[in-house]
Amino acid sequence: MHLFSHEKLPATDDEKNETSTYRSDYIPDSSIPPFSRDGSAPDGTAIIRINHLSKVFAGKTKTVTAVNDVSFDVNRGEIFGLLGANGAGKSTLIRILTTLLSPTSGQAFVDNYDITKDPEKIREIIGVCAQNYTSDSELTAYDNLEFYGKLENVPDNILPDRIWELLKMAGLADRAYMPVGTFSGGMKRKLEIVRAFIHRPLILFLDEPTIGLDPEARREVWQQIMMLNAEHTTIILTTHYMDEAEKLCGRIAFVERGKLIALDTMENLRKLIPAGDLIEIGVDHMDPHAEEAIRNVTLVNAVSVVEHTVTISATNGSRVIPAILAVFEQYAIPIISISIRSPSLEDIFIYLTGKGLNNGDEQETPGKGGRRPL
Amino acid sequence: MMRSAIAIFKRDFKKFLSNPFIIMMTLFMPIMYLVIFGNAFGGTLSHIPVGVVQEVPPYNDTPLFTDAVYQLNHISQTDADKLLDVTVYSDEAAAKQDLANGKLSAVIVFPSSVSNDNAVRLYVDSSDSITPPLVEAAVNQVLLGIGAHNPVTVDKIYGDIKYLQFFGVGVIMMAIFTATMFGGGIALIKDRENGIHEGYLVTPIKRSSIIMGIISSGTVRAFIAGFTIFWIDLLVTGIILQSFQDFLLVLLVILIACVGVTSLVVSFASRFASQQEYSSVIAFLNLILFMTSGAFYPVIGMPGWLRWITVINPEYYGIHALRSIILRNQGLNVIGIDLIALLVFSTAMIVLGIVTFRRTLE
Repeated sequence: MHLFSHEKLPATDDEKNETSTYRSDYIPDSSIPPFSRDGSAPDGTAIIRINHLSKVFAGKTKTVTAVNDVSFDVNRGEIFGLLGANGAGKSTLIRILTTLLSPTSGQAFVDNYDITKDPEKIREIIGVCAQNYTSDSELTAYDNLEFYGKLENVPDNILPDRIWELLKMAGLADRAYMPVGTFSGGMKRKLEIVRAFIHRPLILFLDEPTIGLDPEARREVWQQIMMLNAEHTTIILTTHYMDEAEKLCGRIAFVERGKLIALDTMENLRKLIPAGDLIEIGVDHMDPHAEEAIRNVTLVNAVSVVEHTVTISATNGSRVIPAILAVFEQYAIPIISISIRSPSLEDIFIYLTGKGLNNGDEQETPGKGGRRPL
Repeated sequence: MMRSAIAIFKRDFKKFLSNPFIIMMTLFMPIMYLVIFGNAFGGTLSHIPVGVVQEVPPYNDTPLFTDAVYQLNHISQTDADKLLDVTVYSDEAAAKQDLANGKLSAVIVFPSSVSNDNAVRLYVDSSDSITPPLVEAAVNQVLLGIGAHNPVTVDKIYGDIKYLQFFGVGVIMMAIFTATMFGGGIALIKDRENGIHEGYLVTPIKRSSIIMGIISSGTVRAFIAGFTIFWIDLLVTGIILQSFQDFLLVLLVILIACVGVTSLVVSFASRFASQQEYSSVIAFLNLILFMTSGAFYPVIGMPGWLRWITVINPEYYGIHALRSIILRNQGLNVIGIDLIALLVFSTAMIVLGIVTFRRTLE
């Protein structure tokens, strides 16, 4: 399978039955024993249970509560998304679940093994792609995979084939014997991801899997994640990309400052914010009187102005637009752009936390000589 | 330009101040040089073990023998303990056996008659070029003191061994240590510094596998270094090994010494998180262990407190064993104790390394 490569799969395979094609190719046959798989189907029972988990980092000057009394379950076979801004505590939570950190208080069970009592058992059934690069840059791609294949107890007789399979998936087959240090960020990332499931783990932890990837590669990684999930791998991924969570995750947990602020399916999360559509209007400047006038239009639920964008929440977007446009005309405010859409995960997140995920990306106008004012 | 130079200065200095450990080591090193170097080389030899025996017959001690033994045993030195520890033997062969096994540094055989033309025979362990002249001078001084005019014949039992040859064996051990400084466990520290250990800590690998793996690799690297320097040492110093068995024994000793030194270094690597801190500690260890190993100067020249370090110093046992084989053509009966000491030491260090290795990121 050339999942990261740009080759197209035969259309019949893609269209007819993607899952079964994938699995016949992917599920090991009798000659290749499964190494870390119990074969159970996604049945809605919890594979990860977290009870009042907290993690406090005590520094010399400051104590940081990275995870604050978090409780939730991850179901067997689902793709579970942990969503939050940088520093929200997602990675700490993942590190606790993958036995790299011990919790300050609370309990967590991974496939019924207690994370503090049976870390060895847990390490046998998980695959982890950490947020930072953990491949040895002095070794080649092949050597890195071989190293991890051995650590993960992949039998020697199938390891070389498995490595080539993964290298092809990552589109790195022609670079197999080049040191990882010479790879671009995206190539390293792909190598890290395929490495995480070299042993076909029962549970796969992906910490910001698509960070630094180009859109094409991101889609390929998503496809890969969905295929792994189709063969019953439970996947827990953290991300701060809303589209990624929307596309992949069955259930999504919002984390902010170490706390779980919402957890549900995308569908149910949508219900959290006032029903209706979002109308976004780009403007040069906004008049407070005009804002007030829009608020008074029937069916409009809320209006907010951020920078040069007016966001209007309305029960029926398309019907209310003429009335809104009339207000703009009345106050002689030229409209630069206009769009209407259903609320996205990001809108839900903003609604719940009061701020966006990528705050800090504000545009500044360049000063003289292309230099920004200090 | 000044502004950026100051910025660089400030950055570097901030880092320096934020690491008290490095500041301490920076000052500690020269102080240790002063104390260890000064004491390990400037030291006066004392308590040199010598055996005395009188030719038979007659079977009763002559006045010459009784006087000489008493005098030899009471040679005082101004700034150190007495020079010789005298053991009286009744059998010349037994005394020579102990000399051959390294228990004595010299054997003095007194003639049965006081007559001036009967020589006093002195047998010295010439593998150490510093002790024999001291013993010879002591014997001459005592004979002169008691008015005996017997000539003294000196027999260097291992022939003429130059200081270079004595020291050259020590350099083999230095090669091993240098190799471990660059190879032993530095990979673990680099992984930790670059955060790539996070990748394999989530795999089922055991702490013992990590430590044993890194020790094995370090041992092979150190062995290659030690073995190469061994050949160079033979070429430079012109030593010729007596037998193929000696050659095999040398390989065995180098290998076990490599395990010992590497496991020591790795036991430190299992805990450190910064290359800089680790290197300064290892450089310090290197200094103290090499200085007290007897590579430069016989350990009996060291003050008592410094000699205690030699007891737990793997390099001391390694150098002693290598000298026994290379310079003295001795066998397992002599070096066995060194090998046992090295193995006990290695085991302790491997266990320490495994126990202290952090399996988590904390």
